[in-house]
Parts: sequence; C-alpha cells; structure tokens
Amino acid sequence: MLIITRRPNERIMLGDDITIHVMEIVGNSARIGIDAPKSLPVYREEIWAAVKEENQASARAEADSMPRPASDAGARV
Amino acid sequence: MPLTIDTTRFGPLEIAGEAVIEFPAGLIGLGGSRYALLANDENAAIVWLQSIDDPSLALPVANPWQFFADYEVKLSDSEAERIGITDPAAADVYVTVRATQAIEDCTANLRAPIVVSAGRGWQVINESEHAPMRAALFAGISEPVTAETAA
Repeated sequence: MLIITRRPNERIMLGDDITIHVMEIVGNSARIGIDAPKSLPVYREEIWAAVKEENQASARAEADSMPRPASDAGARV
Repeated sequence: MPLTIDTTRFGPLEIAGEAVIEFPAGLIGLGGSRYALLANDENAAIVWLQSIDDPSLALPVANPWQFFADYEVKLSDSEAERIGITDPAAADVYVTVRATQAIEDCTANLRAPIVVSAGRGWQVINESEHAPMRAALFAGISEPVTAETAA
C-alpha cells in the first residue's frame, strides 16, 4: 500500500481525473472531498462491503429455492 | 440477435438481444457487465437476474413494491447524476433476495436496489432512512404465504 502524509487542504491525484481532497481534520475525523468522473461510483467502504456480502449471499441461491424461469424466458425487457 | 448461454442453474437459455441489460459498473462487488431478467411470467414476484458473462452467476431479485408497499428509493445528487435518473420510480426497480432454507426467513436488500431503465442497469445506494440491508421479505404480507401456514 502506498502511504502518503497530507495536511488539511492538500490533495492527492489518482491519475489525471480523480482528486482526493483532505478538507479538514477535526478530532479523529477527516473530511474528504472526492472529485471523480461522474460515471465512477464512490462508496463508503463499510457500505460497499456490506452490499457485496449481500450480493454474494444472494448469488448463492439454488435454482430450486426460488421460482425457476420458464424455458422460453429472457424475453422480458 | 439472440444469445444462447448455458446457465449453471437453468441449463441452456436463449436471451433475446433486447432483453440484455448493460450494467456499466456491474453489481457491487460482483462485477459482470451484462445481465438479463428471467421470469416465469410478467407478473412474477421474484425473477432471476442472470449474468450473461458468467453462466454460474444469477441472483433472485424482487419487485420491492410487491412486498413493501411503502418502499421508497432516495438517491443522492451524485448517484442520480451518475445514472442519469432523478426519479427511480419512473424506472424499473429490483431488490436482491437472500434466500434461506425457510422461506419465511428470506430477506431483501432495500439499501442497494437495482435500477433498470432503457436497457441499462445500476445498483445504487438508497439514502432513505427506512431501507435496511436485510428486510424480511414476507413480514409485510399478512396473508399466509404457504399451504402449511394456512392450514
């Protein structure tokens, strides 16, 4: 892992398009501003990890635990 | 032009080209870029979101309003801008279902719904305060859901 020390109001560039701005540090919290292309989703890590876990759990479902699609399915838009 | 995929769960399936949904960012933590919805019929309460890129990857998903009548999706400005949809109610919305051995323990993820519009799909974070990650799927239904509980 790359470790960089930054002071309040300093920034980090990820490539040319993504800016991480350390805006303010108060007590044990840091306010971070992120400027990234709008197509790039940005998540708090704990939310991302929890949704990933739910998606993986959902994807473990067996075919017979839920209704099976008809053999000619897939036409739904 | 239809695609034929040999799915792990359902065997070979023919997917019509217009049924393919492009997910520019995939599903959170799962990736994949192309999926299709597989249903028994148009009104099925639970359908399968089958990956076209990975035949073994499929998730049961539900229309949230069939189970949670007052469900609400609120998007942050940046999320709405990312997907280009400001009113999720105008799109098709699905929630992933976590299946369990006992059907009454099945849960739905109301926090991270899947929004589908015009052949494109995104999994988004719902900012609503009433959107748990694991909502009991059948809790909101007062009618018995199986013949056994009805007996």
